[in-house]
Amino acid sequence: MSNGVKRLLFLFFCFYFLILIQTGFLIHFNIGGWWAGYGPILIAIIFINLFTPHHSWWGVSASFFGGFFLDIFSENFIGFHILILLLVSLFIKFILKKYMRIPVWEKIKK
Amino acid sequence: MKISNGVKLSPKFKIGIIIILLIALFAILNLTPAKKETKNFFYLISSPIQKTFWRAGMETSDFFEMISEMKNLKKENEELKLRIQELISENISLKELKKENEILRQALKIGLQEEFKLEFSQVTGIDISGDTILINKGLKDGVSKDLSVITEQKTLVGRISEVYKNFSKVQLITYKGISFAAEIEDHNQGTPILGEMKGKGNLKLFLDRLPQEREIKKGDIVITTALGGIFPKGLLVGEIQEIFKSDIEPWQQAEVKPAFDIKELETLFIILEF
Repeated sequence: MSNGVKRLLFLFFCFYFLILIQTGFLIHFNIGGWWAGYGPILIAIIFINLFTPHHSWWGVSASFFGGFFLDIFSENFIGFHILILLLVSLFIKFILKKYMRIPVWEKIKK
Repeated sequence: MKISNGVKLSPKFKIGIIIILLIALFAILNLTPAKKETKNFFYLISSPIQKTFWRAGMETSDFFEMISEMKNLKKENEELKLRIQELISENISLKELKKENEILRQALKIGLQEEFKLEFSQVTGIDISGDTILINKGLKDGVSKDLSVITEQKTLVGRISEVYKNFSKVQLITYKGISFAAEIEDHNQGTPILGEMKGKGNLKLFLDRLPQEREIKKGDIVITTALGGIFPKGLLVGEIQEIFKSDIEPWQQAEVKPAFDIKELETLFIILEF
């Protein structure tokens, strides 16, 4: 099995686990509304996009799987959250990281 | 990447192909019954894990709630004791009324009210929007769209919005866009106060179109009416939490606290016939 496939499988199961925690466990705590629905997956995606190299596919793959599971466990059509999260991913990769200089990012780039 | 005749594909071309393939995949998924099948498949394989998480979440949140509410326990205990005494006396008078009612029914040869035809179900998860839940009964159990869902205490929870083979989605009564007729029991004047119940999203409920001349109190009980025919009559909806009255408005409004607690929902009943 190639590294790329392994990486995709890893992300698939990570986000599957995350959405199950979100829809089954976190809902019982008083962190209702928007946060309970999107928080953990959105944070994971922002984090992955911020701290992976610019040219890597980690961020985009993560956005795809995160969005896919949000679509599965919501009433929207399949592709709605994928599109939103891919835009978030592209925004971080091409705008935020390009115009903001933070030492940690500089190290990752190298 | 090289194809068989040796032509090299540029990365931009590859990305373009991937995007086109994805768009085609989403179009197929959304425009055919494959969407329902895909969702049903994921709900089916997730159900055991989700149930475990649901129970774990319930127990953990109960534990933390108990710790945070320890201070109020004594006060609440005293209040509950008083409430029990009130309910006991109310129960005695209701038993008397029931007995009288049974005698009258027999006298008038009226049969007992038919019970609902119910289907037992379990909550397996909640939608990310927060006002839709997933239950483990679907088409194969005879569930269809728009059926009412209640708790074992006959508290109205919502209605079936989408049915899959093994699962169904239930729009809670707090779902933004849901509206139905409801009434407030008025003990003083005898006649109930009719209104329009509206879901506002985020587990909030509003009772609209209440007549200005009727007096509404905080804590009044709201139940469903037969008007509209969406839900069966007499199901508990919630209690009045806040009243909004203005002289310039033709109606008064009230915020209603739903009678069910989403965090405590575990088993539900679907009303197949009423």
